[in-house]
Amino acid sequence: MSIKSVFDSGYLKLLRSCAKIEFLTDMGCSMEWIEKIGRSIGKAGKSFGGTLAFSGKVLARMLRRKTYSSATREVLVNQIYFTSVQILPAFLLVSILFSSLLVGIVFQVLKDFGLTEFFGHVLMGLIVTELSPIFAVLLITLRSASAINVEMAVMKSNRELKTLETFRIDLMNYLVVPRIINGMVSMVLLSSLFAIVLMASGVLFSGLIFDMSVDVYRNILLNSTSFSDIFIALVKCAIFGFFITLIPIRFGLRATSELTSVPVVVSGGMVNVFLAVLIIEVLSLLTKLL
Amino acid sequence: MPVSRDFKVGLFIVCTAAILFLSLAYLAVGKGFFENVHTFTLSSKSGDGFTEGMPVVFSGFNIGKVHALELNEKGVVLIKIKIPQRHIQWIKSDSEFILYRPLIGSARIVVNSENLASPTLDENMIPEVMLINDINDAIARIEPVLERIIQIAENVEQLTRVLSDPKGDFNRTLANAEKITANLAGKKSLLEMAVSDEASVKSVHEALKKMQDITVRLDDLLKKTDEQLYHQEGTLPQVNAILKDLLGKLQRLDKTIDNINQISTDTSEGMKDFRFLRSDIDDVVNAIDGVVKKIDGIVGSKKDLEFKVP
Amino acid sequence: MQRFLSTNSTVTAPVSVDVPLLSNQDVIMNISLIKEYHENMSKKDASLFVMQGLQRLGIAHVAYKRNPALTSEERFRAMLLRAAMVKDALIVIDRPFKIISHLENAGFLFQSLSEIDDLFIHCHIFEYRWMKEKYGDLCL
Repeated sequence: MSIKSVFDSGYLKLLRSCAKIEFLTDMGCSMEWIEKIGRSIGKAGKSFGGTLAFSGKVLARMLRRKTYSSATREVLVNQIYFTSVQILPAFLLVSILFSSLLVGIVFQVLKDFGLTEFFGHVLMGLIVTELSPIFAVLLITLRSASAINVEMAVMKSNRELKTLETFRIDLMNYLVVPRIINGMVSMVLLSSLFAIVLMASGVLFSGLIFDMSVDVYRNILLNSTSFSDIFIALVKCAIFGFFITLIPIRFGLRATSELTSVPVVVSGGMVNVFLAVLIIEVLSLLTKLL
Repeated sequence: MPVSRDFKVGLFIVCTAAILFLSLAYLAVGKGFFENVHTFTLSSKSGDGFTEGMPVVFSGFNIGKVHALELNEKGVVLIKIKIPQRHIQWIKSDSEFILYRPLIGSARIVVNSENLASPTLDENMIPEVMLINDINDAIARIEPVLERIIQIAENVEQLTRVLSDPKGDFNRTLANAEKITANLAGKKSLLEMAVSDEASVKSVHEALKKMQDITVRLDDLLKKTDEQLYHQEGTLPQVNAILKDLLGKLQRLDKTIDNINQISTDTSEGMKDFRFLRSDIDDVVNAIDGVVKKIDGIVGSKKDLEFKVP
Repeated sequence: MQRFLSTNSTVTAPVSVDVPLLSNQDVIMNISLIKEYHENMSKKDASLFVMQGLQRLGIAHVAYKRNPALTSEERFRAMLLRAAMVKDALIVIDRPFKIISHLENAGFLFQSLSEIDDLFIHCHIFEYRWMKEKYGDLCL
């Protein structure tokens, strides 16, 4: 009898403890979830702060004359060659095709909706100052930023970065600065080229669709062009170029000596590049509105 | 000679930068960046609708823009507009300046210069800006439409109120319809639903049965008629035979008629000779008549029993 | 060895499997990089200088090849020349038989060093004790 009663009370205790444990686990789960969110936000903030700090360091180096040794200049030339010069024929061809298509469609839509009077503003305000940088960003991100990200990660995994450090070659001067300058220069030049090609195809399509003479087209363009918009677009291109090369470098440098870390840092880098592009685009639009 | 990478990169940068620079320079020249700019001052009682950078338009062309907005000590808004040298000819002393605020698109100051021979506006003069507001016009036009829409909405509300009233006509109609459908649902057939009387349904059934009998009998009758008419020895085959016979006879009659035709033709031609014959007969009759008369004369004057024939 | 490197950090120039050639650049760029970076020598001059060194070592044909395309001997000599590019170089060869594992003795190493002996001041070879016999009389 006494044994049973002890057993019973033990059973009850066990039940209570189970309930208690379950309750705690539930609470634990919800707490963990909130903690997770907090951790992610903290991590994102830290990463953002880190990127800004790294940007500051790079900018400081960029402004130092000593940074530009013969080796750095050679890397810069090579980078510009691979990013812009090598793809120039293909870029021009794609620009002509894409811009013709784009301008043709936009003009036809404007005509169909009876918005002919806004054609200059649409051409300059939307296509030239907004779409041209995006087109160049896409090209440079897909072709160069991804390559830079992989290159950095592989160099880190192969201990090649350690080699440079061993020979007292500054990674920032030799690897980071020329790549970032290349990003900025290529972005500005390629998006300008795209915009010029676009405006040239605009002459053709304004004649075909609106039966517009070159003089009228010129006048409309001049009236709807704002130097502040062009300035903002060029600055935006330079900022795009800065970040779409800086972020892949930063993420590439996070790789470990294991090759399996390469895809991880590459995907992380590219996602962050995409986010950076969105943020810069939004900021530029806000600047325009203000 | 192979071209070095450095040369290619240098060429690319120089060429692209030159294209960019030339494009910007072209835009700058086109926009009158290096031109002499004149500043005129306009006034308005309200600064509402004016913004810095607002275009100044003449005949649909941008000729300048609003440079600054100021409020003077009298509470009048001063609008300073900048007009480049090449467009100064459109700003005359009697020009009208109108703030045009379209419904769609940005507001602008429109310059109307009726007399282009007038002297150019003095930069110290301050003409007043008139207002044209498409938005207010549109609101004025929309107001009656809105009133009608409000009326319609009220009507709709009333309708919905009536419809939603549990003691209203609509709900009563619905209740009746429900009753009718419930009543109909209890019937055995559609016919019963229609006449709502079982005895009538039965009598209709009987009538239908009778109709069926009649049709059976009619069917038999038609069969018999069929046999009489269409059987091998029925009426129609015989009629057919008679018709065939008649057709043969008619064909033969055709020949007879042809003959008759021939005869009548011949007769007709013979009739042509009858006239001559008749005239001959007439002549003969006349002759005979003469003879008779002569005979009568002879017989009458001479009481002789004999007379001489000619 | 780490202690040695840290005490002579300004002039040490290691030749080691742990300090590989950059795989995304050819041999001549790997080597001329040192001169270009440290002495701001122009690309042309640096390339010429490196090419002479490669010719002296008998590996001029690998000038435009990249690391994976090299044999062990070619790789060792390229790494040695790169180390010699450091001004007043104190070359430190770390376990050379790890770089060229099939060598029977250190003859090849000393021959390579003697071919460019004017390009460096000192050379230290760090090796495991059990490899002592491969160096013969030359060990301390």
